[in-house]
Amino acid sequence: MAFFSMLGARDPGATPLPRLFARGGLALVIGAYTIYTLGPFLWLATMSVRTTGEISLDHYAWPSPFHWEQFRIAWVDSNFATYFWNSTLVVVGAVAVVTLVGAAAAHALARYRFKGNRLIYAVLFSSIIFPPQITLISLYQILVDYNLYNSLLGLTLVYISLQLPLTVYLLEGFFARIPQDLFDAAKMDGYGDIEIFRRIVLPIGMPAIATTLILNFIQLWNEFLFAVVLITDPDKRTLPIGIRAFMGDHFQDIGMIAAGVMISVVPVILAYIFFSEKLIRGMTAGAVK
Amino acid sequence: MTSTAARPDDVKSPGSVADPRRTSWPVLVVFLVPALAIYVGLTAYPAFRTIYDSFFTIEGLDATFVGLDNYRALMSDETFWVAVRNTFVWSFIAPVLDVSTGLLLALALYAGVPFARFLRVAWFTPVLLSYVVVAILWMWIYNYDWGILNEVLRAVGLGALASSWLGDPNLALGALIVTHAWKWAGFNMVVCLAAIHSLPREVLEAADLDNCGWGAKLRHVIVPMLRPTLLNLYILAFIGKMKIFDLVWIMTGGGPLWATETVSTYVYKRAFNWNTFDLGYPSAIAAVWFGVVCAAVVILNRVLASKDRLEY
Repeated sequence: MAFFSMLGARDPGATPLPRLFARGGLALVIGAYTIYTLGPFLWLATMSVRTTGEISLDHYAWPSPFHWEQFRIAWVDSNFATYFWNSTLVVVGAVAVVTLVGAAAAHALARYRFKGNRLIYAVLFSSIIFPPQITLISLYQILVDYNLYNSLLGLTLVYISLQLPLTVYLLEGFFARIPQDLFDAAKMDGYGDIEIFRRIVLPIGMPAIATTLILNFIQLWNEFLFAVVLITDPDKRTLPIGIRAFMGDHFQDIGMIAAGVMISVVPVILAYIFFSEKLIRGMTAGAVK
Repeated sequence: MTSTAARPDDVKSPGSVADPRRTSWPVLVVFLVPALAIYVGLTAYPAFRTIYDSFFTIEGLDATFVGLDNYRALMSDETFWVAVRNTFVWSFIAPVLDVSTGLLLALALYAGVPFARFLRVAWFTPVLLSYVVVAILWMWIYNYDWGILNEVLRAVGLGALASSWLGDPNLALGALIVTHAWKWAGFNMVVCLAAIHSLPREVLEAADLDNCGWGAKLRHVIVPMLRPTLLNLYILAFIGKMKIFDLVWIMTGGGPLWATETVSTYVYKRAFNWNTFDLGYPSAIAAVWFGVVCAAVVILNRVLASKDRLEY
């Protein structure tokens, strides 16, 4: 009974104790699930600071000593620095462009009445369900035609198009809720349409834009399929395909793979630590009804 | 879907300053054309080109028109049908696992455990890991000699159950489904939790007053009230699994013996991995699958009678 009397009580300290046996069972399930989600990750973290020799003696031992040089070796000798900077370049470029372009479109769709408004929205949005193969093969051909195959610029362009529907969708929903009064007032003050976008929509929409930025960043940082098709040059690999290629060549070198994986995960974890609420909200936006 | 926001009688006055909700065409062009150009150039055109290509045999620069031959070949391509079967198994069954795990986890947090905020963040973490990372981790977890799964089984005296989880055709697909659920349960949990918190308080309190038990409350109150959310999540998970590629490709490559082949991995293999050098045939698979996914989403939306707009 006590379960539901605490509806909405987000602060666990303020809730009365539920029945003891239920509590015990619950704690057990929760503990087990937490180990299930975080355990593998912590295991990976321990392996990243152990040498492969140590790991093969005992896969589950605590690192002693901590071999931090694993990261230096992965970064310098195993090319993870190249992969890291390639990923950074492509993802930052794509996220910046897609957010700006998407925000402009979202603003026009959310604010102005014009014929075809909902049609354009539906068209942009519907591509969210497209299976990637429908564009994958042709994009490969198109990029080859335009000499953008195997180039970071080509991959960046493709990434912009991949994230555009989600960006427009998230931002349109938010921009539509900005009160019209603000725009009326701005118009009366003589603001032009572009100025309104730059000086009202962008600042007010910043929380939503930040959410979109982080979400796009993480999704593209993790992207694999298009990268593996569109990039073959080892010097242009992004992190996901770099790790995959490294694993293909050094299947047994578990310690080094773990260090490489950690390098790829750290930016995501950092983003998550700082923006966990924003991220969760962005990823779940719209799924709640 | 195609209804416009504008009423027919006020379409004629673009750019009139009187109504701040309308603007001149040049302004709309500035705002919309970059997005539309990207959409047309990098989504719509490639999609049409794939469908167009599916009527050709394309080897390098030579395209030979073959009509419906690719589609005919597809109908008798056993590997394709195995891939379709695997993808359907995955898409229809696995979302139940994802969504129910998510719901149970949300209920656990909702029941008011300590550190709820920490747990919510912790359980969500796998959602953010890339498939490459998840795949590598789980390949190690499933490792026959030293993977944690077999180690635990041996430790509790069930060593006979220790298996080559990814090497056995009967187990591989299940093993992949579990891995995928591990990644996505946290997402479903967060959505369910938000939905539970937005349920009207009075209904749940009324259930309390009626001495409604935990199970009954779940069945008669919470699940029916969360129905739209749960259906939405099911469809989302369904779409995601119809596209599944990364995890399969890295963990099993579609093997052993096509046991985990999905449509996506098969398209990839035919287009870029086998030395068949023909992009027409995989285009046909992609076109068919595109139709199937769109149809499935429309049908699911209808059948599940969700009045809510499809998200994602």
